[in-house]
Amino acid sequence: MELLGNLGDGFLIALTWENLFLALMGCFLGTIMGALPGLGPSNGVAILIPLAFTLGLGATPSLILLTSVYYGAMYGGRISSILLNIPGDEPAMMTCLDGYPMAQAGRAGEALALSGIASFVGAFFATWGLVLLAPQLVKVALLFGPAEYFALFTLAFATLGGIAATNQAKSAFAAALGLGLAMIGVDTQTGVPRLTFGEVHLYDGIDFLIAIVGLFALSEVFVFLEHRGTDRDISTKPPTAVGRIVPSWSLIRSCIPTMGRTTVLGFIAGVLPGAGASLGSFISYSMEKRLVDKDKTFGTGDPRGVAAPEAGNNAAAGGALVPMLALGVPGSGTTAVLLAVLLALNITPGPLLFTQNPDVVWGLIAALFIGNVMLLAMNIPMVGLFTRVLLVPPRILMPVVAMISFVGIYGISGSPFELLMMVGFGLLGWVLRKLDVPLVPVILGTLLGNEMEVNFRRAVEISNGDYSVLVGSPLAIGLWTVAIVGFVLPIVVGGRIKRRMHMARDEESAISD
Amino acid sequence: MSDRIFGGIGLVLAIIYAWAAAGIQESFLTDEVGPKVFPWIIAVILGLSSVWFLLKPDPDPEWPSWGRIAEIGLAALVLAIYAEALPVFGFLLPTALASAYLTWRLGSRPLESVVIGVLTALGIYLIFRSLLGLSLPREGVELAIDAFFSTIGDLFGNEPAPATAPQGD
Amino acid sequence: MSFESIRRGMAAATVVVAAPFAGVAQDFTPDNPECIAPANPGGGWDFTCRQVGKSLQDAGLIPSTMQVVNLSGGGGGVAFAEVVNKRADDDDLIVAASSATATRLAQGAYPGNSMDQVRWLGSIGADYGVIAVAADSEIDTLPELLEQVQENPSEVNFGGGSAVGGWDHLKVLIAAQEAGVEDVRDVKYIAFAGGGEAVTQLLAGSLQAFTGDLSEAQGFVESGDIKVLAVLAPERLSGEFSEMPTAREQGIDAIGANWRGFYAPGDMSDAAYDYWVGQLDTLYDSDEWKAVMEANGLAPLDLHGAEFESFVAESVSNIENLSREIGILQ
Repeated sequence: MELLGNLGDGFLIALTWENLFLALMGCFLGTIMGALPGLGPSNGVAILIPLAFTLGLGATPSLILLTSVYYGAMYGGRISSILLNIPGDEPAMMTCLDGYPMAQAGRAGEALALSGIASFVGAFFATWGLVLLAPQLVKVALLFGPAEYFALFTLAFATLGGIAATNQAKSAFAAALGLGLAMIGVDTQTGVPRLTFGEVHLYDGIDFLIAIVGLFALSEVFVFLEHRGTDRDISTKPPTAVGRIVPSWSLIRSCIPTMGRTTVLGFIAGVLPGAGASLGSFISYSMEKRLVDKDKTFGTGDPRGVAAPEAGNNAAAGGALVPMLALGVPGSGTTAVLLAVLLALNITPGPLLFTQNPDVVWGLIAALFIGNVMLLAMNIPMVGLFTRVLLVPPRILMPVVAMISFVGIYGISGSPFELLMMVGFGLLGWVLRKLDVPLVPVILGTLLGNEMEVNFRRAVEISNGDYSVLVGSPLAIGLWTVAIVGFVLPIVVGGRIKRRMHMARDEESAISD
Repeated sequence: MSDRIFGGIGLVLAIIYAWAAAGIQESFLTDEVGPKVFPWIIAVILGLSSVWFLLKPDPDPEWPSWGRIAEIGLAALVLAIYAEALPVFGFLLPTALASAYLTWRLGSRPLESVVIGVLTALGIYLIFRSLLGLSLPREGVELAIDAFFSTIGDLFGNEPAPATAPQGD
Repeated sequence: MSFESIRRGMAAATVVVAAPFAGVAQDFTPDNPECIAPANPGGGWDFTCRQVGKSLQDAGLIPSTMQVVNLSGGGGGVAFAEVVNKRADDDDLIVAASSATATRLAQGAYPGNSMDQVRWLGSIGADYGVIAVAADSEIDTLPELLEQVQENPSEVNFGGGSAVGGWDHLKVLIAAQEAGVEDVRDVKYIAFAGGGEAVTQLLAGSLQAFTGDLSEAQGFVESGDIKVLAVLAPERLSGEFSEMPTAREQGIDAIGANWRGFYAPGDMSDAAYDYWVGQLDTLYDSDEWKAVMEANGLAPLDLHGAEFESFVAESVSNIENLSREIGILQ
């Protein structure tokens, strides 16, 4: 009851005209930032910090503005995934897999609306999770030592086989490529540079944003250049139909169980520091595929394949606020930026935040609810507007996409070196696509590679070289079991499915080709 | 055949990677596992999966003609030059040229391409710099636009503090 | 008319329309004050730039908005090289720096660059180091902890937010050295992505001790989750932190401050250098800045101009010696 009282106070704080306006502006700017390739939620929030400072906002209004941007970006990332097959930010990567095939099949409107609803469901219930469970959830985070984290990341890679329907060896190759790229830079556990070839620019490692923008956005431009004027040139075809904008109730209903499961899963992934929204959307997708993909429709435009990662990554975004507020430990890049903002505003997140600054916490939580409703209200009517993008001929659209990618990366890194690397990734992405090597594992590898290695080494170092520590707790053993089952099961039952897959090969989505 | 070549390249890559990892200089302060083990595991996976499609290749993809490959290479070159030109010539001119080139190669008529290029550059500048305040390279024209907006900003009071990128001098 | 003159004209126009500022007549005023944050948006250096830029403008100490540029890479090495090679005579430019900058300079992590290639302006505060254990730990004092390290180094895992050889690691080694640990290389240190993550692992029981900055530990101290064994400050801090014992009073003469400050291009004119030193000094003395420091857990460190230059030089040479001793530098 006290909880509801607190929440009510929060709404009293949040519901001023100024705050509502800030939330609206944040949601709008966030959606744009999320949709533009190269600008993810973390950079979006960071870029808008000066705005909050210049406007001279107090603690609560600043937080309302910036968390609206955060949630908005999480919503926005899906738009370019679905329409262009280019993820607007890294958690939206998985939405490409079924979202783009849906758009190609003339169901872009439905895909956008459905993913908007899924985002809302994920974010809404995650916010409730934050309200009700934050103190208890902190204890879950404390169960995860280095060995458990290593098992968790291994689990993510073990389920990789499930997402790409192509040659499993190629998935493994792609993952190893991504992991290999992640190793570049100064090794934190010994302080020595690795594989940098003396290039100072590489000391901090390769920013995964550069990899994702190069691999997805620029390679898409190259694909268009390759196909121009041939029979596979889609620029001469009539524009893709947008389809109905409001999804039918039966479609939404069929996705409800999916949304429910992935919200829970994504939320837990978000609560664990270091896992974050990308892992949330990834695990959500691969688990759903394992669970409900009886007819092998995932990857070919299955609406559940759109709902799963979107509910998952938005729930993870909410979950990531738990360790940030309750422990002062950022669970993701974006929450790291938000944490810095809190500190700058004279608020110390940590175990005492809920008692010391209740107005800030509850005002923020109320703002999250408000932002969520606003985002849903804003996103559904705007579906029609977004889909107009498909009416722009590719010969104009693709250069714009390419230039935006450059601007986004240049704005955060400030030097041409990163841009050259991005062009390199673009070429690599084009070659990999030709060879049927999936791109998602490459990104997953660059995203999680460091955390995976570092936790492995921390665990062994703490135990003074005793490798058995990796399976030293019930939780670790449980995670390993799931990982092994997830890896072995498809191989055991694989033969039967493979035959069916070959028949479906022709209809495969563009992302896996 | 493509997959066999790819497998071969992958294998060479794995060997080079393992070799490069062996060259990582270890300091006196090393942990139990050390900085080389994980890269080696990765090299093994890279190598094994390469061997796999060396032996069991997929059907060949349809490769474009050499002309098309040159087209892609040239586009990549233009983008690379663009990257280097940004800090020297400011944002608008290189961006207009690069996007004009791309849209021309993707099938716009020459004159149309120039118009599209200029509009793209201006549009992106207004959104990213004037609205979102991202740091972009600025020379003459860009500074004039910024000065214009900062004047408007002062008239209305609040304007996000724009950040700037290194200039050419 | 060259681009340059257009630009100066524009800049002048901006000044005219900008809010009037009350400043004393000076030999130099920046047309386009700019601050390079040598990291991505959101990091410590980024905040140093943005916060100081905002405070300088609020106080009317600079004529227009401080432009913040993120130039990331190489742990600050990319920005350092850029300033040395391309912008050595830029009078409008300042760059955020911290102990991490000095550590990397000392360890040769900016290849081909050294601290005398730039001019050091001044500090804006310092975050003192702490060594802490979980609240339920049996250890109550720093000498007890270090004694355990001496007896059985493999049983005591220190965790901190910097890489091996980084500042959080070095702080423990300085303390261990002062306490008479023979081979400091035996001290186990596990690197984490940030101080918060390390504290979490301390609470989860993976680690036995935490080394970091006071600001990172603050929240957990107040909540009673961890206890600080020692602050690595010359004397007890003021206010709520006054209960924490210093290492010095426990007989271990170790001081470790993570300072924050700025450097400027090496060929900056003396007029410009004096201007920036003066403005930072004025800012430091203001009540507004005192509030910012308190908010960010920054302790006083008031060094400007030549004083700061020699302070940085001294800390670089200290870190260099220590790094050589433990074998990070060969």
